[in-house]
Amino acid sequence: MADLAQLRDAIINGNAKAAAAVVDAAIAEGAEPMALIHGYMIPAMDEVGRRFECEEYFVPELLLSARAMKAALAPLRPLLTSSGVPPAGKVLIGTVKGDLHDIGKNLVSSLLEGGGFEVVDLGSDVSPRKFVEAAQSTGADIIALSALLTVTMPSMKYTIEALKEVGLRDKVKVIIGGAPVTQQYADQIGADGYSENATLAVALARRLMSGARQATA
Amino acid sequence: MTGRERIEARIQGRPVDSLPLMPITMMFAADSIGVPYREYATDHRALAAAQLETAAKFDFDYVSVISDPAREASDLGAKIQWFDNQPPAIVESEALLSDKSSLARLRLPDMGGGRMLDRIEGVRLLARQTGASRIVEGWVEGPCAMAADLRGLNTLMLDLYDDEGFIIDLFEFAMAMEIEFARAQARAGATLIGIGDAAASLIGPRFYERFAQPYEQKMIRAIRGMGVPVRLHICGNTRKILAGMGKTGADIIDLDFLAPLGEGRAAMGESQILLGNMDPVRALRDGTPESVFQRLEECYTEAGPRYIAGAGCEVPRGTPHENVMAMTRFARGRN
Repeated sequence: MADLAQLRDAIINGNAKAAAAVVDAAIAEGAEPMALIHGYMIPAMDEVGRRFECEEYFVPELLLSARAMKAALAPLRPLLTSSGVPPAGKVLIGTVKGDLHDIGKNLVSSLLEGGGFEVVDLGSDVSPRKFVEAAQSTGADIIALSALLTVTMPSMKYTIEALKEVGLRDKVKVIIGGAPVTQQYADQIGADGYSENATLAVALARRLMSGARQATA
Repeated sequence: MTGRERIEARIQGRPVDSLPLMPITMMFAADSIGVPYREYATDHRALAAAQLETAAKFDFDYVSVISDPAREASDLGAKIQWFDNQPPAIVESEALLSDKSSLARLRLPDMGGGRMLDRIEGVRLLARQTGASRIVEGWVEGPCAMAADLRGLNTLMLDLYDDEGFIIDLFEFAMAMEIEFARAQARAGATLIGIGDAAASLIGPRFYERFAQPYEQKMIRAIRGMGVPVRLHICGNTRKILAGMGKTGADIIDLDFLAPLGEGRAAMGESQILLGNMDPVRALRDGTPESVFQRLEECYTEAGPRYIAGAGCEVPRGTPHENVMAMTRFARGRN
């Protein structure tokens, strides 16, 4: 029997090989992918987020755990696709136009993925048009915008305006973050949410998805 | 006292007539004389004119050649993305050392005609034009920041776990290069060298103590050996590495707003000069002259007498001039 507690530990400790090995063994024994993800992997990444939040973990540890999470998810993806199980939500994420700083965006992306979201990472220096096109083609639930520079923050506003122009604004939630970004700025440009760090961004995305589901129920 | 005398007196522990004032300005300075930032970052004459104008207008005690982290990487051949009116950025997806084996073939730049030379010439011009009136601050990347510039920040974070030998080789290269860059700026007339080691705030205390801090310390010892004092600036949250920063030997430790000055003082002792550290966006740019004045008062109270006034990081573009003037008013009214 695969020792599934080791899966949680391997992700928390950032051991990609061990995480993938446990998943492979569990699949061979007929384990349910969603049971692995929700029972062990998402709780492991939640614990990583908690440690990051209280400064027991730092960026290297978070990225190491994210790598282990990806390695564990890889053999599960084909099974999930064939079973038609939906993710927690689909998030488009990117650093806005003119900004190449992506470490914060990558941390949020990793934790969202670890939190059960399907993440489409558009990279850095992403124009409003590219966000809109990706939103149209993917049917994303949430668009997450990151900026490190005060000079690139206006691109967040332009992205929201571009979504309005094509009639998508009411169909997608927009969340923003980055060192110079504030709640006040989020309110000012009409974003649906702001988070001051990566772990709170996951909580925010979950809250928005839960609100969206209630609204459509 | 002149600005230079004021800062030197603070460093040497002598009385000052008012608080030294050293906020970092880059885009704010370029905007103040109406030059696009690309020109500021590529033509030392524009940079010098903007620094002199800004220092004169706000009575800063220093001028600086800090502009962007891409000068050294640029001269080494890294791919840089340029923007008309904001700092250039290193393209991480095509990092110069995306293949680790390239490090063995990398040679120190000759500083004879690229962006590093432009900075050296900036120091020379500022030194000539300020005379003894203000400190002229040269600027270099710290070992961790430079390593990230060459390898890519995201990749470097994983290298810390994956390949300790490579990290040591890379930090050695970065340190050797930056010591020579600092030497060239000191020879051109820099009376202070600033070291920016932003990436060091991301790696946590274990890796900071193991890799970044020892190289910062060696760099600082080498630069101080040239007869030039050193300011260490690490952007971001440094709360867990404050004690190590205090042991680097930097004359001035410049804290970003996420690390309270009181914690810095407790970790580094009474003799360390602290600089900073109001939130550049929320407190300085978005504040009022009254709130800026009040926040600086709080910073001074937290830091104690061995203090230099400034913001946590760069004064942001768009900061109302009256807010910066409030910093000046505060500094000139205290000693």
